[in-house]
Formats: sequence, structure tokens, C-alpha cells
Amino acid sequence: MNIENTKAQMKKGVLEFCILSVLSNGDLYPSEIIEKMKEAKLIVVEGTLYPLLMRLKNDDLLSYRWEESLTGPPRKYYKLTPLGKQYLKELKATWAELVTSVNKTIEKK
Amino acid sequence: MNRTITMNLSGIIFHIEEDAYEVLNKYLNAIKGYFRDSEGRDEIMKDIEARIAEMLEEKVSNIKQAVLLMDVESVIAVMGKPEDFAGESENSEQTNTNTNYSEASNTSYPNNKRRRVFRDEDNKILGGVCAGVANYFDLDPIWLRGAFAISFFAFGSGFLLYIILWIIIPKAKTTAEKLEMHGEKVDVNNIGKAVNDEFEDFKKRMNEFGNKAKSPETKDKLRDTAQKATGFVGDIFYNMVHIVGKVVVFFLVFLGIALMVALLATIFGRGTISVFNSPTSNIHFSLYEFGSAVLPSDLSITLVVIAIILFLGVPLLSLIYSGIRHLFGIKHKNKIVKYTANTLWLIGLGLVIYIGVETANDFSEEASVKQKVEMVQPAGNVLYLDLKPLPDDDLDVTYYRHKNHKLKLGDWTMVSKDENNFSIGYPIMDIVKSETDSFQVVVVKTASGFDKQDATFHAKNIQYSVVQKDSTFIFDSYFDVNSKDKLRAQGVKIILKVPKNKVIYLNKRMAKIIYDIHNLNGALDNEMVNRKWVMTEQDLECLDCKGLEPAKKN
Repeated sequence: MNIENTKAQMKKGVLEFCILSVLSNGDLYPSEIIEKMKEAKLIVVEGTLYPLLMRLKNDDLLSYRWEESLTGPPRKYYKLTPLGKQYLKELKATWAELVTSVNKTIEKK
Repeated sequence: MNRTITMNLSGIIFHIEEDAYEVLNKYLNAIKGYFRDSEGRDEIMKDIEARIAEMLEEKVSNIKQAVLLMDVESVIAVMGKPEDFAGESENSEQTNTNTNYSEASNTSYPNNKRRRVFRDEDNKILGGVCAGVANYFDLDPIWLRGAFAISFFAFGSGFLLYIILWIIIPKAKTTAEKLEMHGEKVDVNNIGKAVNDEFEDFKKRMNEFGNKAKSPETKDKLRDTAQKATGFVGDIFYNMVHIVGKVVVFFLVFLGIALMVALLATIFGRGTISVFNSPTSNIHFSLYEFGSAVLPSDLSITLVVIAIILFLGVPLLSLIYSGIRHLFGIKHKNKIVKYTANTLWLIGLGLVIYIGVETANDFSEEASVKQKVEMVQPAGNVLYLDLKPLPDDDLDVTYYRHKNHKLKLGDWTMVSKDENNFSIGYPIMDIVKSETDSFQVVVVKTASGFDKQDATFHAKNIQYSVVQKDSTFIFDSYFDVNSKDKLRAQGVKIILKVPKNKVIYLNKRMAKIIYDIHNLNGALDNEMVNRKWVMTEQDLECLDCKGLEPAKKN
């Protein structure tokens, strides 16, 4: 068993969930998403985010639109699709369940 | 002062210092290479470039207009190395391995590099050796694992090979290495391609060089053709040398492994070493038998085993080690292994020398014991000499031929019979004139030892018997050494003293033990048997040799 691998696997599932959650509060462009994730210490390096966003987009959970920005190049604003919302809802439920059951297991020691 | 390059990143113009540009370009290419198989690579790249542009923009101002290496490095630190993306793109990588392949082979980062072997620790069971090698050959690791598991039982040879591979093959640490691990398949085409590339490059450089030196255009074409031809021949030659080299190395590795297995089998399997030194005599012995028979008793056999393993095993392992490294093109060096191997071999050498000296010391003194055989003088004039046949001897067997396993070492044979090992030797016999007027048989037993006393002890331990039956003397065809005694160059010499005018008859079997007996007829030992000989004033003379004329008296 490789602990790093396990950790990565654990994080991976959660990361997708978190991105969806962050976006559920409104459309954001990558830098903003990164900021929120960094606040929560979920992401160490930014590079991780882009392939994730791409995958979620390819799975039709996210969509994006271009918006001009005042300071720099046009920004890509990501938005949850209806499917993504549905997905998020289910994930939330699963997460809640998971947290309670995991906590129970851990505390039972 | 530094030169700057103008760069367009995601639609924003940057002035970037040359070294910084190099680093950034390499970084982007690395990422590109990393996502080569992912769906939507271009889009990811655009996103990443946009983000980098955004960050770089924050680093420049009206006062500081150029992007410095430092800035790029800090951006890379924030974005993370492609290695760190690892967990994220695995899935996509595996689902569309082939879609973007041809396009991707243009990128310059590791993905289109030749495949190299690494230990695949992500899929490991023990050390990831099987998984890694399976990656290299596009196999399912389960077959390799099975093969290794089975070979673990073949005197642990598989285990040993596994450990060697574990040490030699580096772990795939970085993503670049992980990519190389799955990199372009190594086959004949690719090897050819790689070699070609190298040659193209070389030719290009040579061309440039040639053009610089002088370039009359008319000659150009001619030279070009010539160069192409030589290049082609060179290619073939280079390829041949490469392939032949690999084949030779492969066989060396194979040989090394075979010898290693043989060595281990000899030591741990208690197998026998067989040396076929002539069509009629084979040597089979087990190291333990031989060791316990020859080595000084205060020298433990374990020490000898260790010495042999170190002295022979280490070079064999080095052969296998460097061979495999060569075959897989592993450049990664392991100094610890090298030094350890050298040290172990030197220890082995020291032990071998020590054992040799100790053993030789045990042979340093020689002693002999003389024994007169009690005998009754024969009634008639003739004494018949015969040999007691070995149980498994028939009359026609030659000196060397025995059906049992044995080791012949000088006049020595180690015989294993009825599960018991014992050593026998062959006596030699000389026939001389007796000073008295009676027959006499003297048995001289000799042996070596670390001092006279020890040598005498060994000599006395020799079992040899002569039996008299009326007027026939029956000699044993071999002498026996107490099975617990050591082999210490024991020997038995029988001296038969024949008085003047008495006759002896040599049975055919006696040819085995008589040795260089002087006679007036100049007969060789094997010509002397089946004949009667009389002792004259000078020497033995044949009584019934019609074909053999007496030799000239000197």
C-alpha cells in the first residue's frame, strides 16, 4: 500500500466535490476558484485545478463562458450545469452520510 | 545586462529575459507532454497559460518591465510541477491513450522519448520490479510475477535475480520517468528510428561544417549523395554493432545466471559438480564431501562456503548486474553497490587465500609406515600374484572405470556406495630382488600432515590387506581410508622381494597395480601380466615370452 497514493485518491474525490460546491454559490473564473480552495487548504499547487476543471467540463457538469476583464485577457467563467447541480446534490448527501459514518467509526476506537 | 525576448502569452505581450524564457518554455512543454493523451489538452494549456500570464502581469510594472527568471520560478512554484498533477490526469490518460498520439510525438518533452525500464512502485507488490519490467515489454505483470514466484524455488535463483533487478532498476520517481516507463514502445523500428535520428543529426552537423568550410554548389549534390550512401552504410553498421552487442551481452547475462544457479545448486542443493575430463572418467563430487575430506578439521565448511560465494558469486553477480544495466540502458549509478561488491570480493579473496594456506599447511609434512606382511613361503618354486576384484569390477574393467560416483584426484577416488562416502586409493607395486632367500612383502603407507606425528597418524589409518592362499598372494585392488579421516595424500606402495631363482606369476588383474617394474625383457607393465618371471642375478626375466626378446644388457 502506498500512503501517498491513498491520500491522493482521497483528496481527488473530495476536490471535485469542492469545486462543484464553490461554483454553486455563483460563477467564478479559475483564479477565484483557486483562491477559495487555497483558503480551505485543499489545493497545494494551482496546476492541479485545470485538468480537473477540464474533466468536469467534459463530463457536462460544468460549462463556461468568456467574459472580458478590465485588467487582462478575457476570463473564462465556470458555471454549474443542471446536471452538475444534480450531481452536487447527490454528492452532498453522500458526503454528509460519509462524514457521520466515518466519524462514528473513528470515535468508536 | 541580459537580452530579453518578446513573448505572447495568452494574448499579453511580455518582455522576458532569455534564461527565464527558456525555463518557462520548458515548463510549458513539460505540461503539454504530460497531458498529451488527455482530451482537451489544448484547452487545459490555454487555461494554464492564461493563469500564468495573469500572474506574470502582477510581477511587472512600469519600473520593472522585464520578466525575470525569479518571476518565472515563483510562478512555477505556485502552479506546481507536472509531477504534482499526477493524481489528476491518470484516468484520462488511460482512457484515450492513442487519440493524440501522432500529434504528441512532435512535442519535445519526455513523452516521445524511448522507453526505459523503471520500477513501477505504483503497481508494486514487492519492489515494483515485475510491474516495471512488464511495462517495458507490454506484458501483464502477473506472468512475470508467476515466473518469479516459481523460480524462487529453484535454489532461490529467482529471488536472487529479483534482488539484483531491485537494486539495478531505478524507481520511477518523477512524472517524466513515469512517462518514460510507458514511453514509446521499444521495437526494431524504434531502435532504427532513434539511430537514424542520431545519424541525421550528425550528418546535418557535418554538412554544416562542410558548407562552412567551402561550398561550391556543383560539388554539393555529389557530396550529398555520397554522404547519404555512407550514412546509410553507417546506419546499418551501427545497427549491427548495437544488435550484436546486445546479443552478446544477453548471452553473458544468461551465462552468468546459469553459472549462478549452478553455484547455488552446488552449495545449497548439495548437488554434485561433474567434470568430464575424458570419455572414460567422469568426476562427480559434492562440495561438502570434498570439503570435509580435504579441509583441515579446524576450518569450518561454512567459512569455505562463504569464501566461495564471495569469491565466485560476486563476479558472477557483477556480470549479471552490468549486463542487465546495459541491456536496459540504465545509466543510474549505484556507488554503494559497486563498493560493496568490491569489498565483498576482496573479503572472499582473503578467505580463499587463508583457506588455501591453511590447507596447504596440513600437507606440509610427510611420513611413512612400513609393515612387513606375515607370510608362509610357497611350497613350490612359484609364487602366484593376484588381485582381489572390486565387487563391481569385472575382469575387463580398466583402471578408471567404475560404476560408482567418485572423484579421482591423483591416485584418489572418492566412492559413494550404499549411501556411504569413503575414499579409496590405488596402491602401486614394485618387485625387487630379495637379499635373503625367501619371499617378502612389505607394505609402505605414506601420508601427509601438519607435522610428522599427524602424518604418521594418517598413514596408520590406511587400511590395506594382503591375503595368502597356499602359494597365491591376493592383494586388495584398492586401499581404504577411514571415512572420518582426511584426505592427506595417502598412498600405499607394496614392495615384493623375490629371492634369486624363484619364479612369480602375474595374473592379468595385477596390471592395475604394478608400476614400472624393471625386467630384462624391457616389457611394459601391461606386457608383464599372464606370464612367469624368474629372478636372475640382475633382474626379473621372462620365462614364457616368445615374442619378447631379452633386452640388451647394458
